[in-house]
Amino acid sequence: MKTSAPGNAEPQLGKQKPSRGSALPGRAPQPNRDSVTTIRDDGSRMFLHPADARGFWTRARRGSAALLISIYFLLPWIPVGGHPAVFLDIASRRFHLFGHTLAFQDVWLLFFVITGLGFGLFFVTALLGRVWCGWACPQTVFLDHVYRRVERWIEGDAVARRKLDAAPWDAAKVGKRVTKQVAFVLISAIITHLFLAYFVSLPELWKMVTHSPGEHWGAFLFMAVATGILYFNFAWFREQLCLVICPYGRMQSVLVDDHSLVIGYDTKRGEPRGKLGTPDAGACIDCNRCVQVCPTGIDIRQGLQIECIACAACIDACDEVMAKVNRPAGLVRYDSTAAFDGARTRWLRPRIWLYLVLLAAGATAALWALSTVRPAVIGVTRLGGMPYFVDAETVRNQFLVRLVNKRDEPVSFRVSAETPEGLPVRLAGFDELLTLAPLAEEVRPLVISVPREAYAGSFRFHVVAQPEAGGFELRRAVNFTGPEPEFLREDAR
Amino acid sequence: MSARTVTIQYNDKVVRQFLLASVIWGAVGMLVGVIVATQLNAWRVNFDLPWLTFGRLRPLHTNAVIFAFVGNMMFAGVYYSTQRLVKARLASDFLSSLHFWGWQAIIVAAAITLPLGFSRGKEYAELIWPINIAVAGIWVVFAVNFFWTLAKRHERALYVAIWFYIATIITVAMLYIVNHLSLPTSLTHSYPVFAGVQDGLVQWWYGHNAVAFFLTTPILGIMYYFVPKAAERPVYSYRLSVIHFWSLVFVYIWAGPHHLLNTALPDWLQVLGMTFSLMLWAPSWGGMLNGLLTLRGAWHKLRTDPVLKFFAAAVTFYGMATFEGPLLSIKAVNALGHYTDWIIGHVHAGALGWNGFMAAGMIYWLLPRLWNKPLHSVSLANTHFWIGTVGILLYVAAMWVSGITQGLMLNATVEGGTVLAYPNFLDTLNAIKPMMFFRIIGGGLYLVGWLLLAYNVWKTISGAKVVDGAAEVLVDDTPSPRVGAVGTFLNPPVVFSVLGTLFACAWMFGGDVLRLLGLFGTITSVILAWLHFEAKIRGWAEWYERLLVNAAPFTVLTFLAVAAGGMIQIIPTVIAQRAQNVEDRIQVPYTPLELAGRDIYIKEGCYNCHSQMIRTLVPDVLRYGDYSRLGESIFDYPFQWGSRRIGPDLARVGGKYSDSWHYQHMLDPRSLAPGSNMPNYPWLFTQKTDLAALPAKLRVMRTLGVPYAEQTPEEIQAEALAQGERIVAGLREAGLHTAPDREIVALIAYLQKLGKSEAVPASLGRKSEGQRSQVATASAAPTP
Amino acid sequence: MSASKPPQEPGEDPIREHVFDGIAEYDKRLPNWWLMTLYATIVFAIVYWMWSQHFRRDTDGQRVDNVVRELRAAKLAAAGAFDDAALWAMSRTPSIIAAGEVTYRSTCASCHGANLEGGIGFNLADGQWVHGGAPVEIMRVVADGVAGTGMPAWGGSLGPRKTAEVVAFILSKHPAP
Repeated sequence: MKTSAPGNAEPQLGKQKPSRGSALPGRAPQPNRDSVTTIRDDGSRMFLHPADARGFWTRARRGSAALLISIYFLLPWIPVGGHPAVFLDIASRRFHLFGHTLAFQDVWLLFFVITGLGFGLFFVTALLGRVWCGWACPQTVFLDHVYRRVERWIEGDAVARRKLDAAPWDAAKVGKRVTKQVAFVLISAIITHLFLAYFVSLPELWKMVTHSPGEHWGAFLFMAVATGILYFNFAWFREQLCLVICPYGRMQSVLVDDHSLVIGYDTKRGEPRGKLGTPDAGACIDCNRCVQVCPTGIDIRQGLQIECIACAACIDACDEVMAKVNRPAGLVRYDSTAAFDGARTRWLRPRIWLYLVLLAAGATAALWALSTVRPAVIGVTRLGGMPYFVDAETVRNQFLVRLVNKRDEPVSFRVSAETPEGLPVRLAGFDELLTLAPLAEEVRPLVISVPREAYAGSFRFHVVAQPEAGGFELRRAVNFTGPEPEFLREDAR
Repeated sequence: MSARTVTIQYNDKVVRQFLLASVIWGAVGMLVGVIVATQLNAWRVNFDLPWLTFGRLRPLHTNAVIFAFVGNMMFAGVYYSTQRLVKARLASDFLSSLHFWGWQAIIVAAAITLPLGFSRGKEYAELIWPINIAVAGIWVVFAVNFFWTLAKRHERALYVAIWFYIATIITVAMLYIVNHLSLPTSLTHSYPVFAGVQDGLVQWWYGHNAVAFFLTTPILGIMYYFVPKAAERPVYSYRLSVIHFWSLVFVYIWAGPHHLLNTALPDWLQVLGMTFSLMLWAPSWGGMLNGLLTLRGAWHKLRTDPVLKFFAAAVTFYGMATFEGPLLSIKAVNALGHYTDWIIGHVHAGALGWNGFMAAGMIYWLLPRLWNKPLHSVSLANTHFWIGTVGILLYVAAMWVSGITQGLMLNATVEGGTVLAYPNFLDTLNAIKPMMFFRIIGGGLYLVGWLLLAYNVWKTISGAKVVDGAAEVLVDDTPSPRVGAVGTFLNPPVVFSVLGTLFACAWMFGGDVLRLLGLFGTITSVILAWLHFEAKIRGWAEWYERLLVNAAPFTVLTFLAVAAGGMIQIIPTVIAQRAQNVEDRIQVPYTPLELAGRDIYIKEGCYNCHSQMIRTLVPDVLRYGDYSRLGESIFDYPFQWGSRRIGPDLARVGGKYSDSWHYQHMLDPRSLAPGSNMPNYPWLFTQKTDLAALPAKLRVMRTLGVPYAEQTPEEIQAEALAQGERIVAGLREAGLHTAPDREIVALIAYLQKLGKSEAVPASLGRKSEGQRSQVATASAAPTP
Repeated sequence: MSASKPPQEPGEDPIREHVFDGIAEYDKRLPNWWLMTLYATIVFAIVYWMWSQHFRRDTDGQRVDNVVRELRAAKLAAAGAFDDAALWAMSRTPSIIAAGEVTYRSTCASCHGANLEGGIGFNLADGQWVHGGAPVEIMRVVADGVAGTGMPAWGGSLGPRKTAEVVAFILSKHPAP
């Protein structure tokens, strides 16, 4: 019994059951809704050779990719305030970001980066669909604008590449393939080394590169594995990552709605498709250019699909063809599903407002959190073992005060204790100013004593540290504890 | 061929009952979750009331979410889909009702006993023994009802969803019974029959597979029914179903020891735990792929249909969680992530994303079909989805950042690795405080989403007329092909699997010759199986098709597949001589007062925040002292190794602080530990230790093999009081006052005992004992 | 890259005959890389087992013991051998005394006074030693503390080098034997 799968009777589906996964030289695959184009019937990987697209969007994406790659490459090189613009110095537990320095104690601010990125994606996707995937994701940026470009230089255009796939293994093919793979490995190694430059200072990195790996096995192994992963991903795995591994690829379809901007095909204008000259045909001449340029192996005319990374190659391809046949551009275009259905796009919907409110709340929280980050950190803990000491004259508590200087210059602190008024408290440990070297950390004891006769039970007080130059103040609330006072009196008697 | 048509009226009443129960208990469980998250930030929210403290409420949260929320949801989904997939009404209306009301009674009993402090002290297995018996009984009711329905089925073959339900029912029964084996000391208290490493192994065999067979396999079955129904698409691949079902149920059960990586657990078990977790990656993703690619053809509908939105997101979260799981099971990654919030984030990605969203999708899909009325508001359901995803994002991101921050800080060293950078645990706790706040926001948003669902359910069903499904079924009386005992076992797939497993056992446990033979045999049977499969693929497929029309043989084979891993891991550990589970130290049995203190420790749920296991990792050893040995918890019924360090490890806390320190600290933790989030325990200073229960407890301990001398009840109580007097006298000297029969005294006695052990003569120790470093041993020498 | 496989016949997607409650099933092949992942993890498991159970000689515990022992050795090596003579010699070396004084000011002065005159802690300048006056004994008190008194163990946070420097600083205020 053959059941036609219900629920996929949309008009834009191709009429005939297309042949799938064809690897005939010079022919692009014919995608459909029931199977994944890149997985052949025997389970093997169908390797895509997207044709070259030309046009506005392709140029714009190249420009943005060049910008992003330069930013990635340059950040560790540009000094801001004495450190690289971004330098996450794990070894010394300091993080330098555009002239600001954060300590380990501030790592939680990373939360705002992650959730900000998450929220940003929610918001941008609700508004503009998968622009992240097509324009900014490192996977797309490096694959489309680095690795595929190299492949194009070495092996030629899509037709040539398919021919090369089918060709016997002669010297020319071996030469091209070896050149390509070596280039891929080299590029992967460069990318990973630059990644390492975010965590290790450049001179240190250079030392590692020029010295034998035996001197830094850990780093070497990390680089080798990372290079291997990048190479595997960009040379072979490619769009499978977007399909199977990347969660955002799936979340996109649940994050867009009818009024989000997506790349789509104007069914109303295009259907019924037909070759030039077919009577009553729509605008689509069924030239298959949009399928040939697609880097993920789908047919955009079948609607929004899981694989689509919104790279806009099909827009350029279709516009180019439309120009040739003197029809208006935009048969495939950026637009909302509502607009494709003939309605108006509602940009500002309740969801957008909700996200805006959440974004504003998040940004406020992040700003507030940043404002609480002082150029120094104070921590007060107890010196272990005993809670308190009682001797003939006093009740005594011992603490450890940790001060962290996050500035690149020495800072002198005055440390004091704000104890309840009228209580004769003796403070030992911070009689003079405490000077911390640039970026240094100091731990020193603080001993608080209360005369026996004045002691009337536990009390709360603040340890306060102020830089001599003023500007901010660090406080920590601490408890002074001791025995039950009546016991002291008994003992005294 | 005789054929006739009958009309079947499904029992959808019980489905509706379970569905509503799931909505209600889901809200309760999530609310308790938000409360305990708040307590981590604001210790005052513990209100100084025993029954509202974190240690007692956290078990309530986990039990409510697992057994009440997901349990009820699972029963609703299983009952709804099974009736339709086998074309038969549930076998017994009485059993169905008994199942429903029995389960709710158990939940209510749990919700009362857990806050009162009745606990077995094992995670997700806290409920006391009378309730354990009730759970086992109701589970049997469920099993009888389910298999009886299968027996009466009008559909010959079993659909993939049914496979997963079968695996769920038999495996949960097996896990639950073994992990709850206990000897009662009173009506409300018992000791588990396993101790130390044995208990740890059994517990995490259970704990891990509760995730596998309570939170994963039934939900996968539900996915296999509801996703193709909602998407109106064929399932992507039947052969993927076959491979991923059998690999999943076989492999999952072995992975339990990954909860005990880098601990004192014997190395071979840790290796199995890690490698099987890695092997689990592909089978898990098989399920994700099948769900995802089934949805793929209906991808354009996701924009508008909230049910599909929930399913697509749930499958995505399943994929993320099952990628993160194997990653965290790599020993090096585990060294950073274990005992931190990273694990909590990982669990919640699964619980909120996979279970919660599958539940929501299923409920939104079922409502119109069970009450014959369109969903009250689709846009409200969409809003639920938006809020829920934001909630998960905030929650998981917060936990991830928190876990990594704390992990890095705990492991950071200075002075060439000789000195900890943050020797005080509080430095690391204070650094993650803000994250603890954002988890409340994330969890709270998720709860708000769930309340929207509850409102939507309420509005949809109020005034609606219930409707029970019915179907016309063509009954075909020709007998199905039987496989019989011979056909079940004597066929290539089973023979090759059994051979391979047996050889693997010989390889793992055998001596030199047997080991080589085993290795050779394992590899040979794998190659032979592969060759045979390639040559006779049709034969394999046909046998499997025959198996699918025989429910009993299918069940037997499933049981064998899930039982194998547990048996191979647990039996050698349990029957091994005690001496082999000792290493070079052996615990000194607790005095009666210390034992009473230990039961208070368990009652207050201290294990929810404190581990008692110093791992074989340098930062752990630098921070807490010499790493823990197996022998040091050999009399611990139950083991208290813990799974999370919200506070520091306590394995060697004995003697580190004075009695007066503990006294003050339990009364007001912040007075001694600035920034601590531990609750105050004022009631320990007024409540009296239950000394009268000690004779029965010691009797059970003796039965379990702890070397206690025969003593009369009077002697036991006198001994306990005498030890109490000594502690009280010491406190008095430090200016503190209490009475020897107070709970605080027993607890101090227990805490000061932790880490006290005796060195063992080399003859008793394990094979490596002789080579063990004397330096390390000396550094933590027992101070009697 | 598996491009040399023969082109496939156009065909129907294989769908299974039986339909369960309206649910049909395709019977498509799995992506081969998925299978390869499964096989690779199995091979890894076998290899890892063999490495850890048959070839590796030490346990996790022994490895930690070794590291801890090495750390200890490194600590000792970093500061040389601290016998009485060595510490006395250090106490006559100005650079070491200066370094010790820095640590003393930050760690010790609060209790023992800026000039070693004592206060909360004992006087360290008067030549009377409650816990033993030999340099190694002083060093042990600094490193391990004195239980039950206010003197904590500093060895863990200072490390041996700084501990020895502090002792040298204290000794520098006393005449050498």
